[in-house]
Order: sequence, then structure tokens, then C-alpha cells
Amino acid sequence: MSDWTKVTRPIPVPDEYTKPFWAAAKRRSLEMQRCQTCGHFQHPPYATCTQCIGVDLKFEPVRGQGKIYAYTIMYHTGDKRFAAAVPYASIVVELDDAPGAFMAGNLLGADYTEAKLGRRVEVVFEDLTDDITLPQFKLAGE
Amino acid sequence: MWDNRCKIAVSGVGYSKVSRSADIPLAAHALEAVKGAIADSGLKLEDIDGLATYPELPATGHAEVDGISVVSVNCMMAMMNLPNLTWHIQVGSSNIGGAFQQAANALLAGVCKYAVVWRAMHNPKGTYQNLPGNMATGAGQFTGPYGFGGPGQGHAVAYARWLEKNGQTRDKMATLVLNQRKNTQHNPHAYFYGTELTREDYFASRMVAYPFCLFDCDIPVQGAVAVVLTTADRARDLAPTPAYLAGYGQRLHFETAGRIGSLSNYMEGGSSSAKLTWERSGFSPKDVDVAQIYDGFAASVIYGLESYGFCKEGEALDFIQDGRIELDGELPLNTFGGSLGTGRIHGLWHIIEGALQASGRAGTRQVKDANVSFVGASAPIVTGTTFIFVRDPY
Repeated sequence: MSDWTKVTRPIPVPDEYTKPFWAAAKRRSLEMQRCQTCGHFQHPPYATCTQCIGVDLKFEPVRGQGKIYAYTIMYHTGDKRFAAAVPYASIVVELDDAPGAFMAGNLLGADYTEAKLGRRVEVVFEDLTDDITLPQFKLAGE
Repeated sequence: MWDNRCKIAVSGVGYSKVSRSADIPLAAHALEAVKGAIADSGLKLEDIDGLATYPELPATGHAEVDGISVVSVNCMMAMMNLPNLTWHIQVGSSNIGGAFQQAANALLAGVCKYAVVWRAMHNPKGTYQNLPGNMATGAGQFTGPYGFGGPGQGHAVAYARWLEKNGQTRDKMATLVLNQRKNTQHNPHAYFYGTELTREDYFASRMVAYPFCLFDCDIPVQGAVAVVLTTADRARDLAPTPAYLAGYGQRLHFETAGRIGSLSNYMEGGSSSAKLTWERSGFSPKDVDVAQIYDGFAASVIYGLESYGFCKEGEALDFIQDGRIELDGELPLNTFGGSLGTGRIHGLWHIIEGALQASGRAGTRQVKDANVSFVGASAPIVTGTTFIFVRDPY
């Protein structure tokens, strides 16, 4: 299992688009940007709806369950901040409540070999600083 | 069909020495390639009146210093001091294929007569994707904290999805990589010219970002390539047999997930660009005699083959087996070795090879009776630029 204790994750810097997402994460809630015109979820947040060019966008709470859409196992230690954790799984998750909006994460609490397409995962929250809490994923029901 | 079909042609091509590290300024590489392309055309420096490039440095976390890590149009103008320059551009999107297309457009508009397009690529000292600091900004907010450090992982997630979705394993990719290394042995300008690669080497190589092993990734190098473009009637008066531009297309792929390549929309970038190219040129995939498809990461070739229409979705790794893509096969592919053979010079070398094959100038790797020569000059998952060159302009 990857040892994350020696990894120094870069800290997200919220901007005008992303502040609501990080504010929700700090409350241990997932909120995704949704077009109020056509209902499309998108992530990362964007200026307009990429489906219908709507401009009325709001963040709505979504449940943290989803499945692994894609993944990679990182072996290369080019990024020194993550060298201690290799090999580790970086995954792309599609949430049940926000189809088409992909979230990146690591697969925590499981061997990297457990990363497979379609595996059920659920969100967990990892406090990085007093201000920033990072949504992460673990296998569902474990 | 395109009104301007076969009205533009590639004439001369040029190369710099390709080295692993930056021993001399990148500007010297670019100048060597540009002068080579002009000489190959039989032109003089003062004949050149158009310049175009895409000067991006794909390595992150390194300073962009003009002439050292990038070679801008401004840098090239200063070096060449061209007396008759009438048009120049450096594009900020759509990659080097877009710069080439802009040069073709400028020639069609009559605002220049002989344009040079170059791509110069720098390999900085130290870690290529240098990701220092403790902040993640922009789209990186949603990737950086998870160790999605560079484009390799972004492409790897799409490749892993492709494999599992289609019930395939990465073993079959060896055919592509080994064939390209074999082709590289016919290309003396390539970084891996003179270096063979065996099946054993491929399967023993270390993983970089699963499913990519080391040999699925192009090696960062320092070097440059260049082409001279001109109008078809002018090209006929020059020394090289012209490679006529029958059609082109482009489509920027809207990457909603930052560095995370989403397999679901690679088809959009590739197929949109290819559709324009097929329509404009009047050809279809079955007419193609030889193809160059961008291969910065090996999986880009499978997305290319599928999205351009050479085979069905999910079938590319089977399509490339059984000799089909070898020099004497049904669809000779990346005949110059691809980026996996030349080193990371991006798509202009694919364009050069497409033109050389169409003009019958590809030497010992020349595909017999090649007329319709297809090029996909960038990964369709990022941006699609596609081209068809022909020997016969009718």
C-alpha cells in the first residue's frame, strides 16, 4: 500500500470559479457546478455551461458515491513530492449524481492493484491545512 | 472538395542534430534546420518571406528563454535578418500543425511566396516536468494534489480505460513500438538511429505510468526540424519533387478536466479534424498509401487510427498486428520512426515524413508507389491537426 505520510501534496489555491467547491469540501461535503438551464454537471468549474452555453451556474451538493472511470499507476518519481508513494494509483471518478463530471483522486486505503474500471468508490476527506480539505476516494463499503 | 486542393506544396525539409541534452543554444538547432530546408529547396535566404512556428516548451517548471528553451518568430527574424520578409506568425494553440496551416493560408492569400515553418524542442537540464512549490492553481487545483504531475499520467488514464473497456492488454503495443524502432534505422537524423530495440527490451522496461512503459514514451531531446512551403506552381520550379497539400483539418479539443485526458472525447478532436481533411481532399481512409500518426505517447496512435477512421473504435491494437503497418504492409505507419524513434520534436517531423513519402524522397524507407500520404500531427486527445499530401496533384 502506498505510503502517503511522506508526500507533500501541493495545496489547491481557490479562485473565483472554484471557491464554492473548496468551501464545501471544508464542510466535508461535495458540491459540483451545475447548469441551472440544462442540468449539466461539470468539473472543474467553468465560466459557462459547456453543454448548452448557459450562464446560470450554481454549486449543488452531490453524494460522494461513484465508480472508477479511469486510472493510472504512477511509477515514475519525476515529481519529487510524490516519490515516497510510488507506485500509487491516481484515479478518475465519475460520481453517480454528476455523470460526465470527472474528479481526480487517489485510491486510499487499498493496494494500487485494486484500481480497476468500474470499481465502486466513495469520497473521504483529507485535511491538508486549516483552510483546505481535499476530497479523496476509498473503495466503497470498506 | 476544397477549392485550394493541391495549390500549396511542401518543398525542402531540414533537420538539426538531435541531441539528448542542451549542449548548444536551441536557436542554433533551429537555424540549422531552417537553413537546411532552404538549401534543400535550392532557395537562398533572401527568397524566404514568410515565417511560422509554435514555440511552446512542453517541459513544465522551466524558464522560457528565447533562443535557449524556445525559438520564437522574433528570435528567428533576428538571426536571419531576412531582407524580404512580408509575413510571420507564431500560433498559441493547435500546435505546430496549426502553424503549418497558417503558412499555407498565407501563401494562398498571396501575402508571402516562400514560407518556412520550424519546430524547435528543448530538453532542459534536470527533471523534465519540474513541479516545485506547494501550490496548485488553475485546473491544477484538481489534479496536482493527487500527483497527476504531467501529461504522461493524463494520457495514461485514457489508455488504461481504452484497454479495460476493450478487453485488451498492453502486450500488443509492442508491435507498434518495435516496428517504429525498426523504421528508425532508416532515418539517420533520428535520435535512436543505430540503437535497436528488442521484444525482450520492451517487456523488461520499467513502468513510467501504467499502462505506459518507458518505450511507450518519446524521449526528451534537443533539436529542430523545418520545412519550406510554397505555392504549387512555384514548387514545381524548385529542385525537390513537390508534395502537394490535398487537404487539412484542425480541431482543438476542449479539455474539461485539465491534465486528465478523457477517453470519451478523443474521438471528437480526431474525427472532427479528419472529417474536414477527408472532405477537403476527396480521399477516404481506404485511399491512404502511407500514414504518419503522432506518437508522443504510443497510445496516441491508437486514438488516431480509430478517430481518423482507419479502423473501428476498440480495434486499433489488433489492426496494427500481422505486418499491416510495416514498410511493405497495407498501411505503413510512422515510417520515419515516429517521435518514439526521432525523440520528442512534436508533429512537424510527422508532417515532413508525410511530405517526403508523397514526393518519393524517403530514401530506404520509401513506401513503394505512395501517392496519398496521411498525417495526424498531434494527439487527438489534445488537439487534432490532420493533413493529406499527394504526389499526383489531380
